[in-house]
Amino acid sequence: MKKVLTALLAASALVTLAACGGNDDNGSGSGDSGSTEKVTLKFQSLAFQKTTVAASKKIVADWNAANPNIQVEYVQGSWDSVHDQLVTQFQGGTAPDIIHDESADITGFANQGYLADLSPYLSQETKDAVPQGVWDSVSSDGKTFAAPTLLQSYVVFGNTALLKQAGITTTGDSLSWDDLQADAKKLTAGGKYGLGWGLKSPTATVLNLGMNFDAAFFDGTGRDAKAKVGDPELEVPKRIHAMAYTDKSIDPTSLTQSASDVLPGFFGGKYGMIVAGNYVAQQIVEQGPKSFQWEVLPPLKGTSEKQAANPQTLSVPAEGKHVKQAAQFIDYFMKADNLAAVGQGDWLIPTTQAARDAIAKTTGGKNGWTQTLASGTELTKAPFQSVENYPKWKDQIATPALQSFLANKIDLTTLGKKLSDGWGQVNG
Amino acid sequence: MRTRPATRAAQYVAVVCYLIFLGFPLLWLISSSLKSPQEFASIDPSFLPKHPDFSNFTDALEEQGLVRSMLNSLQISVASTVLVLIVSLPVAYALARFRSRLRPITNGWILVSQVFPVILIVIPLFMILRPLHLTNTIPGVVIVYTVWSMPFALWMLQGYVAAVPRELEEAASVDGASRVRTIVSIVMPLLRPGLIATAMFTFISAWNEFFFALVLLQDPQLKTLPLVLARFVGAEGQVQFGPLAAASVLATVPSLVFFAFLQRRLTSGLLSGAVKG
Repeated sequence: MKKVLTALLAASALVTLAACGGNDDNGSGSGDSGSTEKVTLKFQSLAFQKTTVAASKKIVADWNAANPNIQVEYVQGSWDSVHDQLVTQFQGGTAPDIIHDESADITGFANQGYLADLSPYLSQETKDAVPQGVWDSVSSDGKTFAAPTLLQSYVVFGNTALLKQAGITTTGDSLSWDDLQADAKKLTAGGKYGLGWGLKSPTATVLNLGMNFDAAFFDGTGRDAKAKVGDPELEVPKRIHAMAYTDKSIDPTSLTQSASDVLPGFFGGKYGMIVAGNYVAQQIVEQGPKSFQWEVLPPLKGTSEKQAANPQTLSVPAEGKHVKQAAQFIDYFMKADNLAAVGQGDWLIPTTQAARDAIAKTTGGKNGWTQTLASGTELTKAPFQSVENYPKWKDQIATPALQSFLANKIDLTTLGKKLSDGWGQVNG
Repeated sequence: MRTRPATRAAQYVAVVCYLIFLGFPLLWLISSSLKSPQEFASIDPSFLPKHPDFSNFTDALEEQGLVRSMLNSLQISVASTVLVLIVSLPVAYALARFRSRLRPITNGWILVSQVFPVILIVIPLFMILRPLHLTNTIPGVVIVYTVWSMPFALWMLQGYVAAVPRELEEAASVDGASRVRTIVSIVMPLLRPGLIATAMFTFISAWNEFFFALVLLQDPQLKTLPLVLARFVGAEGQVQFGPLAAASVLATVPSLVFFAFLQRRLTSGLLSGAVKG
């Protein structure tokens, strides 16, 4: 036993000594914002795909080579945990100098005053390059709390062979919901379904695509917002439900799966089409059988092709020591070639037309890029993006209510009532 | 009574089936680590990879700084395990042996401390560690893990100490041994199973811990294994299954080695305890 104790104590001493050698430099550089002083900025990137990680690192390397006094250190973050991490880092004043996150997530931080107003620092070129509707999704009270980089839209992916077999052509600028329903019916035969739709977490899809029918869900902003659930808001769930249970053209089991879960069925010919975020194209290319032919159908259209813009963003902590330099890097990141590189890697839509043009040129519009880029033109700020307790409503009310409706456990009237009354509960 | 050969064979079969059942997740993980992205997306998944491929391991090792994170995790887990044992042993002994009014209060507090959700304490903890320059450092994380594991370790060890017959200590005392000598020479050898079980618990808690490390460690060089594994999961449920499985296989190896090492001692400790008890 003495030997064990001695070994434990020795190990303790060694490990403690080794541990004390840990790096405790917060890496934020020091001093003021003087242009001659060398500063180091931490850029926490959430890039996930290999290609996007490489593109992001290249942007950083190019910047560092050209700006010896403003060095950027690339730090790899994770989408899965970024919110909790930022909550603590903002509280403790240790947030990274440049923060990568999605607009919906940082809106709360911006409202609490944790993010710097970037409008005085971003170049006119950058400001002009992004449509106002997208800027609106990262602005409040006349301040711009982030730069929007990449956008996601919901698109319809089709199995080319099955579409041809069913005599479905996918030309045209848009695809109406009626056409989608009719096509899904045509494709439903012999144990195969026209549509697989991973709606395990249905709220984002329903609210984003709801804008096709001018669905607002909320009237007003902040805590004063009131729930607004009428016919336009219930149109998308009603149509999905009708396809699943009346037409039986959507596989009802797919409604309980994630977007990635339905891919095996899509590859195996079980579904002629799937609806998913356009980033899924990357998984289709990587995971699909080599012989698998697929396409992106034109953007879905109700009364319009509008969808909510929830862009990925780059922002800077309000208490950051080098807001100006961080904004300069963000400005550089927003250059067309840079945005095109990260957008292409993630199969997401850049917020600037110049970057979209660059992707269209590089890809020749193949692999659905023409339709994917087209689906981004009508993205704009949605009312729910200005509502403070939206995340609470989404998790506690909307998601379970929509799941029950899509599982055919409650009817449309009950769904509407739950969505509306539930807002009173979480915003009380 | 002699066991019939058929019964014995059935027993072996049952044991083998049980072992396969227990080991199946690990086998599935190893199999998954050798599959291509296409195989993951197959509508008809197979247990064995059709074309075993080690590129997932290469990706995991090259892209995500896995080895460095494993060393960080090992360093932190071993340090917190050692510290927990050193601090909890005398406290557990005192709680088990000395009767006082504070004892039930202390035990109550130990239990209560286990119900605090991590999210509730992480910000105050961060605010305490920051002025001490212990955020973004390995010693800071070691201290947090030590404090976090201590209540349960104390609870466990207390039970083991209480199980050691007092008569042995009294006999040692009659023979002239001091209390320290009694603890070192009499109690601790009998406590070995308890110490090892506590070490296992503490090590595995630290090895798997995610949230404190996420909040406290920002430097990429200091990231622990769970933080690196989380990077294989993207937005909206995207997962790099192959590299994640490969990284998980690699991540399992050190804890398997640690457990294999301690398991032998746990068994021998139990036997020695039984004889002496």
